[in-house]
Amino acid sequence: MRTAHQLTVENDGIADTLTLTRGISRAEVISEICAHLEPYQTGEKPITGETVIAKDLTIDSLAIMDMVMELEDRFDVSIPMSVIAEIHTVDQLADTIRDLRTQA
Amino acid sequence: MTLPTRNLQLALRRADFRSVPEMLDYAAQGQTGVTFYSVRGEILSALPWREIRERAQVTARRLIGAGFAPGERILVTADTWPGFFDAFFGAQYAGLLPVPVSVPVGIGGKDAYLDQLRRQLAASGAVAAIGIEDLAGFLADAAGQFPAVRLHGGMSVVDALPEKQVALRPLGPADLCYIQFSSGSTRHPHGVQITQAALMANLAGITGPAGLEVVPGDRAASWLPLYHDMGLIGFLMAPLSTQLSLDYLTPRDFARRPTQWLNLISKNRGTIAYSPSFGYDLATRRASNQPDDLDLSCWRHAGIGGDMIRPDVLDRFATTFEKSGFDRKAFIPSYGMAEVCLAITFSPHGTGVRTDTMTTDGGRRTRRFVLCGKVLPGHRLEVRDEAGQVLGEREVGRIFVAGPSVMPGYYGEPEASREVLVDGWLDTGDLGYTLDGEVVVTGRAKDLIIVNGRNIWPQDIEWAIETRRVVKNGDSVAFSVDGPDSEDGGERVVVAVLARVSGEEGRQTLASDVAQAVREAIAVDCDVVLVPPSMGLPTTSSGKLSRSRAKANYLAGLYAPPKGADKTAAA
Repeated sequence: MRTAHQLTVENDGIADTLTLTRGISRAEVISEICAHLEPYQTGEKPITGETVIAKDLTIDSLAIMDMVMELEDRFDVSIPMSVIAEIHTVDQLADTIRDLRTQA
Repeated sequence: MTLPTRNLQLALRRADFRSVPEMLDYAAQGQTGVTFYSVRGEILSALPWREIRERAQVTARRLIGAGFAPGERILVTADTWPGFFDAFFGAQYAGLLPVPVSVPVGIGGKDAYLDQLRRQLAASGAVAAIGIEDLAGFLADAAGQFPAVRLHGGMSVVDALPEKQVALRPLGPADLCYIQFSSGSTRHPHGVQITQAALMANLAGITGPAGLEVVPGDRAASWLPLYHDMGLIGFLMAPLSTQLSLDYLTPRDFARRPTQWLNLISKNRGTIAYSPSFGYDLATRRASNQPDDLDLSCWRHAGIGGDMIRPDVLDRFATTFEKSGFDRKAFIPSYGMAEVCLAITFSPHGTGVRTDTMTTDGGRRTRRFVLCGKVLPGHRLEVRDEAGQVLGEREVGRIFVAGPSVMPGYYGEPEASREVLVDGWLDTGDLGYTLDGEVVVTGRAKDLIIVNGRNIWPQDIEWAIETRRVVKNGDSVAFSVDGPDSEDGGERVVVAVLARVSGEEGRQTLASDVAQAVREAIAVDCDVVLVPPSMGLPTTSSGKLSRSRAKANYLAGLYAPPKGADKTAAA
């Protein structure tokens, strides 16, 4: 089973211990996303806002879901599954998180 | 408010009903029910079976009032939420057939999900498509090209229908119950017809002495998806058929915080919970934040099913949670599939995981397999060779089952049904053997590779590559294709590996390392094809590597051999 092996183990309680203000800069979200994606970078191509997460990187779908969950915990948002299904790039993911934080 | 574990007035009846509406009518006379929990363990809603029945009957009157005819199909996204209960049980009281389907997972998955919904709508001929509000747009998109779909959207579109004073039309013992799409069939989905009679027979087996032997005081906990037979039948129908209380976590929340599943068991004194091996693995890997007060001593049946059972994983789980009172003898390896509703065998209580070591591949390798117990009462199980002869003990062949739980066939697919159903026997498509009357599953029949009369398990090839650390677990998949001299039945082994390397030199080195590892370990030559990580290796809907789909991709020319390889793929 590949499933469990490829989910990285992180601190589950992170959202409980961090206190955050709602407003957040786009750069901050992007840098957090890039930190998650760095291990999956291919070749010399840098990760940018236009990077298509499931295509331009070596990350598999389960690791992506894991990252999304960690980002949800980190930024205290919940991304609806229909919205997640329409996200392709780093920019789209960052904008979604920022918009949800502003609305909350 | 936590729902009680025991009914004080109502006697426990163990799945001796004739239909789902009868089961719910009876359970509704007690105080037990279903509680939905958040990822943080807070109660989202608690519905006694009585309330589930009342809501279902309201939904049923709305559906009947809207003109849906008996036997029509209603597609419903089976997220773990009360609306699914309204739709599923509402259909049961309205004489309609629910068709539970999965929810989208993963980023960028919209197109694949819409494609899946359309295939399921076509295969089931559904006349309505409903789900959580969030998915209303997707359901509208998918239903757009199906004029037969008269109602689609979130559950609110059903709630908006007028509740007319019409007589209920509960499904009866001679009716179908629902249509179950089995895993691994996204391209050509086969909808298993679950009949009320087969379901009742299977529930009697699951909850009876040869199964989990449900007793007063039992309580179930589950994170399993309700679009899967193990979730829907194992952890909705079976607890309902025995009037248990049941605690739910969504699959998504389980993936996020697997220990929350264990917390639910601990806090509510749960006694029955199941997972495929990977769920136990996940819980073990994330055990670092194990609460001090976690007490799993109440958990008497820790079932395993749904994938190849991995004794090493279960052993690690037991060792990790022993200090929280977990008893490794609580493990119940089980075997089953949607084509028999859910269950075929359960290993005996109190024995834990027992393994048998088989010499495979002409004595070259030994492998450890898990004993999964005897076939349920009233059912039969045979292991046959390719010619259909019944094999003896410890002879590996194809597993066939017969009995009252076996499906009548796939919905609207007589040809596909005839392929697997002959004279009342179901060809499970699984390989295995028997030992002292118990079944041991060794793999999928169609995956088996035969080279020069030698049986080779593709798992062995993948394992050889992984243990030599050429690539990591899950990055290689082995299968066979007909060789150039296909009239002699010769097969050629192909290994597809994810090429997490860059540069032509790196790619060639990887390919030759893989071929070398296979040659060394299995003594067979193979062609290596490199798959770009962006393409990935195909998996089934339950996350297992799909060798058959990898093979189909290969034959379709999707995988290219490395440049300069001494062997090239057959044209």
